[in-house]
Amino acid sequence: MRIVIAGAGEVGSHLAKLLTFEEQDIIVIDENGDRLDALDSSYNLMTVKGSPISFITLKEARVHRADLFIAVTPYEADNIVACSIAKSLGAAVTVARVSHYSFMDPENRTTMDKIGVDHLIYPEYLAAKEIITSLEHSWVRNWFELHDGQIILVGVRLRDNAPLAGMQLKEFASSSTNFHVSAIRRNHETIIPRGDDRMQPGDVLYISSLRDHVDELIELCGKVQHKIRRVLIMGGSKIAIRLIDMAGDRFKFTIIENSRDVCRHLPEKCPDTEILYGDARDPETLAEAGIEDCDAFVALSPSSETNILTTLSAKEYDIKKSIAEVEDFQFIRQAEALGIGTVLNKKLLASSSIFQLLLDNDSSNARCLALTDAEVAELEVKPGAKITKAPVKDLRLDRSMTLAALIRDNKGMLVTGNTQLQAGDKVLIMCLSGSLHKVERLFN
Amino acid sequence: MVGALLLLEALFMLAPTAVGLIYREADWRIFAMSSGITALIGYLLWHTRPASKSMGKRESFLLTTSVWIVFSIFGMIPFIAGSPRIDVSSAFFEAMSAFTTTGATMISSDGQCFSHAIVLWQAMMQWLGGMGIILFTLAIIPALNTSGGMQMFNAETTGITHDKLMPRISQTAKALYGIYVVLTLATVFLLRIAPMDWFNAVCLAFGTMSTGGFSADPTGAIFESDYVMCIVGVFMLMGGINFAVIFRLVTGRWRQIRIDEVLRMYFIAIIVFSLFFIGAKYLATDDISIRSLLIDPVFQVISCMTSTGYLAPGFHIWQPFVLSLMILMMISGGCAGSTSGGAKIDRMVYLGKFIKNELYHALHPNSVLSVTVNGRMVSQELLAKVIAFMCLFILIIAAGGTVLSFMGIAPVEAYVSSLSCMCNTGFEASLSGYGDTFATMPAAAKWVLSFIMLTGRLEIYTILVLLTPNFWR
Repeated sequence: MRIVIAGAGEVGSHLAKLLTFEEQDIIVIDENGDRLDALDSSYNLMTVKGSPISFITLKEARVHRADLFIAVTPYEADNIVACSIAKSLGAAVTVARVSHYSFMDPENRTTMDKIGVDHLIYPEYLAAKEIITSLEHSWVRNWFELHDGQIILVGVRLRDNAPLAGMQLKEFASSSTNFHVSAIRRNHETIIPRGDDRMQPGDVLYISSLRDHVDELIELCGKVQHKIRRVLIMGGSKIAIRLIDMAGDRFKFTIIENSRDVCRHLPEKCPDTEILYGDARDPETLAEAGIEDCDAFVALSPSSETNILTTLSAKEYDIKKSIAEVEDFQFIRQAEALGIGTVLNKKLLASSSIFQLLLDNDSSNARCLALTDAEVAELEVKPGAKITKAPVKDLRLDRSMTLAALIRDNKGMLVTGNTQLQAGDKVLIMCLSGSLHKVERLFN
Repeated sequence: MVGALLLLEALFMLAPTAVGLIYREADWRIFAMSSGITALIGYLLWHTRPASKSMGKRESFLLTTSVWIVFSIFGMIPFIAGSPRIDVSSAFFEAMSAFTTTGATMISSDGQCFSHAIVLWQAMMQWLGGMGIILFTLAIIPALNTSGGMQMFNAETTGITHDKLMPRISQTAKALYGIYVVLTLATVFLLRIAPMDWFNAVCLAFGTMSTGGFSADPTGAIFESDYVMCIVGVFMLMGGINFAVIFRLVTGRWRQIRIDEVLRMYFIAIIVFSLFFIGAKYLATDDISIRSLLIDPVFQVISCMTSTGYLAPGFHIWQPFVLSLMILMMISGGCAGSTSGGAKIDRMVYLGKFIKNELYHALHPNSVLSVTVNGRMVSQELLAKVIAFMCLFILIIAAGGTVLSFMGIAPVEAYVSSLSCMCNTGFEASLSGYGDTFATMPAAAKWVLSFIMLTGRLEIYTILVLLTPNFWR
């Protein structure tokens, strides 16, 4: 697929890298030559220097032949204009990154269609959604629902005292057929496990399950489900505002913000929220904010380091759930290893939604979740696909992927070695980064 | 990785084997054997697993250089085993000279008669080396379509910056090779109707398009025909143009070509030098036919500019100052991204503009100037790279010449050989009228010249970084 990415910032570069590993044809546009050189010299892609809203540049990038045009510059107006021009030049599908909710509003959809923007990425919105999910399911790190929650994939860290700890996968499988361990993250590496792999304390397990059985996992993993009510937020960022707007009255929020200017505008945007001026790194401020009574701590300041460290110190106050925004990739794994409950990354969230679009082109209703070095996707089996030819155990699938569960006739079930896939099944797949295209080939 | 490439080379060797069989010559066995050895070792290497799959800049430099050296080592097997037998250093020189499209040879001049198979093998090596061994493999092995493959493309392809024509490296390689193959086929066909037999047409076409300067006929009688001269001249000219530019022409993107300053400079240089040559020829001879005053001099200029190294008949009686002009043209070479050698016109354009700015700056110290090529500003880093390249280029030629003269070769001959190998032109040292051919040089000199040829072909940096202690740390 030919994909043009406008903007070689953090999101754009990350997407470009990921997509070249997925063997897509990538052209990156940016005005900054240095950034392009860095990409150009080490990745298998092409770059075009110039403004993404210039006709000349877009023509040079041959946007008219693009299957997907992604505008992810820091400026939402530029993104929308670039998409609009690209669409009129003949790009098949356009995606713009925006930073205002009004663009996402369904009632403005026709306007967006008219100006040629097919899809929108709004990372702050995705982040807010992610926070709400993880506050509702406080015992997991990731929660991925499929088909109205018929199938649920959870990412959960194994406690030392968990019954599952030290157990071999095949023992677990013989004791209970309600779960499918799809992946294990251990020592900064994600592996697709086999029957004789052992689950160890400290591992993050990605387990697929059906709706009725998912709660059994809480005990198996040595976790406790808490009801979260009071949430303390550090940093009155866009995500915080979005979060409070979307959460409604499910939670009670307190924001600590260390900039007077930001504080002044917050009350208007976040009604019914307690707002404190101060530095959350200061224990006294934390005490004043009532951290003793809080159930969850969410760190959303612009600095990843501050978020990680403050969350760690907040954890000493017996909070049930900690969430930190970590924008630097190299820190994500460190943060996870340090025991931060859920780590947020806007770039990963944005790439999840782009991957979804990639899959969308072929399968009608694909969903996707990008983890640091793996992807979870839902794909529909096409008639005559390679994957329907034999039961799963005889397919000799690549070690970089696993089929976890499927929906057939609106009913969820887990995939075992004897499962024979049929056309029309919606399958939940977990695969390591760079192998999504292989999976796709199997399904078409 | 290297294993897969060797299997490929073995496959290529089958072509001379077939030709040997067709002409009922004894040495088809030698080629079959060489092919077998190459395939065997390639197969063994193929099955060794690399320690780590990721390829960085270091690995790509090392791998590119070793691919070229390994190819030359296996490419020389037929020479060593063939008849008349030649020694290892000559054989390696011969193979390296062919792959780097230098085209210097010890075979043609002393009238030895080589079999068709060997001759074809030489032509094929030139053809493959012209566009690039790595590029060829990128075009056909899908496993290389990664960032590692792209790094190797950067290490091999000539020029200051590397044009990517398509988003992915294998597509770029396919496009470039596609053009190359089409142009070569066109040459073969046009030469065939000259008339010329298939074998000679193919060999001459390979030598022409790769700007290697190889012909199956060492006597030069092949250039008696005006038609052949014109065809070879035109396609040499094409071989000296950036293939990315030709690609844009084919795909109908004219705008980018019209503004290409480098291409314009290439044609201007050829016209200006041609005028000089015509003048020189006029003074040197009484023959005032079109052939003598137009075709011969222009052919010679193109041959020189594109580093092909064909000599027009009777070249030796032209004016002596022609030789110094030729040295200028050899250094300049064709466009970057073409099959030609030399320092490339692109660098000359950058350097010329830079010098002009510096001179202006001396007069008006406060003026702010920038070097712009094709309407885009050239960064200081890039200019520094160009200047360093030119310095290294001259230094290596000088060092090469000095080393050669230590070996007892007359200084003029030593320097001209060094220059001719660095620029991948491959004119005989005897061009200067002093020495004899490469064949009479001592064995050590042949290794030195082989090294210079490779340095010239891979544009210095790729080779020289391997010699820095930092690389191995």
